[in-house]
Amino acid sequence: MSITGSTVGTDKRGVRELGGEEKVGWDEVQQGVVLNSFDGTTEGAAFLKAEERNYADFNSYTATVASWRIIKPVYNRDICIDCQNCWVWCPDTSIISRDKQMLGIDYDHCKGCGVCVEVCPTNPKSLLMFSEATDNDEALAGWPVKEKKEK
Amino acid sequence: MVEIRWHSRAGQGAVTGAKGLGSVVATTGKQVQAYALYGSAKRGAAMNAYNRIDDEPISNQETKMFPDFVFVIDPALAFTDDITKNDKPETQYIITTHLSKEELIAQIPALQDKVERTFVVDCMQISLDTIGRAMPNTPVLGAFMKISKLYELEFFLDSMKKVLSKFPQKIIDANMEAITRAYNEVK
Amino acid sequence: MAKEFDLNEVEVWDGNYAASQALRQAQIDVVAAYPITPSTPIVEGYGAYVANGYVDGEFVMVESEHAAMSGCVGAAAAGGRVATATSSQGFALMAEVLYQASGMRLPIVLTVVNRALASPLNVRGDHSDMYLGRDSGWIQLDAFNAQEAYDLPLCAFKIGENLDVRLPVMVHQDGFTTSHKAQNVYPLKDETAYNFVGDYVPVDEMLDFTRPVTHGAQTEEDWHYEHKAKQHKALMDSRPVIDEVFAQFKELTGREYKRVETYMMEDAEVALILLGSSVESAVLAAKQLREEEGIKAGIIAPRCFRPFPYDLVRDALDVPTLKAVSCMDKSAPGGAMGALFNEVSAAAYTTSSRPLISNYIYGLGGRDFAIDEAKRIMKEQKAHADAGHITTNIQQFSGLRGPKLGFYETRRS
Repeated sequence: MSITGSTVGTDKRGVRELGGEEKVGWDEVQQGVVLNSFDGTTEGAAFLKAEERNYADFNSYTATVASWRIIKPVYNRDICIDCQNCWVWCPDTSIISRDKQMLGIDYDHCKGCGVCVEVCPTNPKSLLMFSEATDNDEALAGWPVKEKKEK
Repeated sequence: MVEIRWHSRAGQGAVTGAKGLGSVVATTGKQVQAYALYGSAKRGAAMNAYNRIDDEPISNQETKMFPDFVFVIDPALAFTDDITKNDKPETQYIITTHLSKEELIAQIPALQDKVERTFVVDCMQISLDTIGRAMPNTPVLGAFMKISKLYELEFFLDSMKKVLSKFPQKIIDANMEAITRAYNEVK
Repeated sequence: MAKEFDLNEVEVWDGNYAASQALRQAQIDVVAAYPITPSTPIVEGYGAYVANGYVDGEFVMVESEHAAMSGCVGAAAAGGRVATATSSQGFALMAEVLYQASGMRLPIVLTVVNRALASPLNVRGDHSDMYLGRDSGWIQLDAFNAQEAYDLPLCAFKIGENLDVRLPVMVHQDGFTTSHKAQNVYPLKDETAYNFVGDYVPVDEMLDFTRPVTHGAQTEEDWHYEHKAKQHKALMDSRPVIDEVFAQFKELTGREYKRVETYMMEDAEVALILLGSSVESAVLAAKQLREEEGIKAGIIAPRCFRPFPYDLVRDALDVPTLKAVSCMDKSAPGGAMGALFNEVSAAAYTTSSRPLISNYIYGLGGRDFAIDEAKRIMKEQKAHADAGHITTNIQQFSGLRGPKLGFYETRRS
């Protein structure tokens, strides 16, 4: 399964580089620096999934900071116990979880800080940091085995 | 233009009196100012209030004035304040005192060449008798009506009733009595 | 529904009470305030109206003026008609949030009762606080008496809330001289006043849940400059809206206001330029001087301090007969010429008459501005006019005890 994000076609997640928005002139900037989160009206937006919402360009959901990352967390579904610790601790809301089940990493907003790995309680860990260049399948194939307790 | 300077202590109602007079005057189509020099003054501190009355809009915003009338509504201030400051030959003085006019003037050298312009009335005693408190602000206006002939007493009483309409009837009646007594007793 | 307030055709109100009545008639949704002398009665008055059912609004007590203006910003961003009052130290504490309000384009009305800034501590009126606000991006209107302290807040809501403006507005009046001096005031009926101000039209309000918005965003060098430029343009473009609202107010009441008031300037040879309650005394002094000494004196008074009316000040100064003017600043200049002097001089530089311009500092901490002193200063201008140059220091202090204090002279060779 894909763990790199939504498969919904209209999802606007990370469609542009942060700061890559069009720099309009003084005559076109929003009055009072008021930034709208969604395009159009958004009756009931709270009940929609993120990928279903019509986020506006000024919402950081549409911007990606993937290029900031040197190392990345890789998620191993086979070990994860869905404790939600990583979801709680992630400073960038980049752990995707639905109905208390871990789905994966939002690689558009993850900056590779490694906090999720640090707080993961399983043995071996269900999240490990790898070089950005490493293929995720390759990383999963070489996942470490359970450490024996030292006697 | 008629200009009035009040000598009072903070808490004796000079500002209320000045505004009350202003409210009456405004109903007759005239223009008024009512103001005071106070601010950080504590209750009991000597202070001044002022009125200007004119037929035309009043644009003079200077605090200092050369008054046509001086009201001294605290008995001791006649002795301690410079009540004849900025005196004009026609300035008239209405002073609250329990003394007779002769006794008072004998003790205040600044008034001795102003005998015919000085009037006395015991607003303190009048307010104690009628209102039940030392509140000399409305009685002095009764005396002022007598001396200035600005309005007939009846008209002034009627107008003051409206100004005081937010107060209980008992207080209004007491004030009317105080104004009437001062009108009749000023010498 | 709020109760109607029983008003007479003519009332005897001081400037504070007049302003509080105007706020009541505008039916403000939120007043967040931290009362301070001499503007306390405005807030007290509003609190009483709320308590007694004359306003359907909220009165929010806060712990400082910084919090007061912050509360106002929040309430205005939420989508309400908002106002408050302050003076002096309270104004200074608000300063940071004043810039937020204007940058966020929130049409808050702030009634400022001008008072000196400490130290030394002083509760009386001068223009230090008004001057402190002059770069804050607010429209600043100046009332010279109690009637204007009632009229101008009504205009202020209509100006600030205009969709082409959307800027906060200060209405200034002089502490004690105006705020505590009762004079004849002719109020409008509640319904007439409210209809003039009109219903509040919210813009980008936070309480519109169908359109969530972020207020108070951070911008760095890539966006900040454009936003500030747009804000400045809105302030400059408010001029015709102010004129239009004043015209509508005149139609309703017969009372005429202009961004720059001029008195007897048609044939003036000398003039004083000043702000606040002193304008009224100066007009009286100029009239007397014309009668008594035949000196053709006139008065220029910016009613609108921001946006500064360069256009109209220039027009007012472009009188062929005008030879000498003095700009009177009621604020300690802090190592410069007075602000009014600087701004008027800039406007005068582009006139053909190019009058001699000198500067007086006066009235600090509530020092009485005497009619006689106004006349003396105008006579001094006449001496400058006759000599063809400024015969005194360019900056002088008026009504000051001790040796004469002045700075700079005209360079003549």
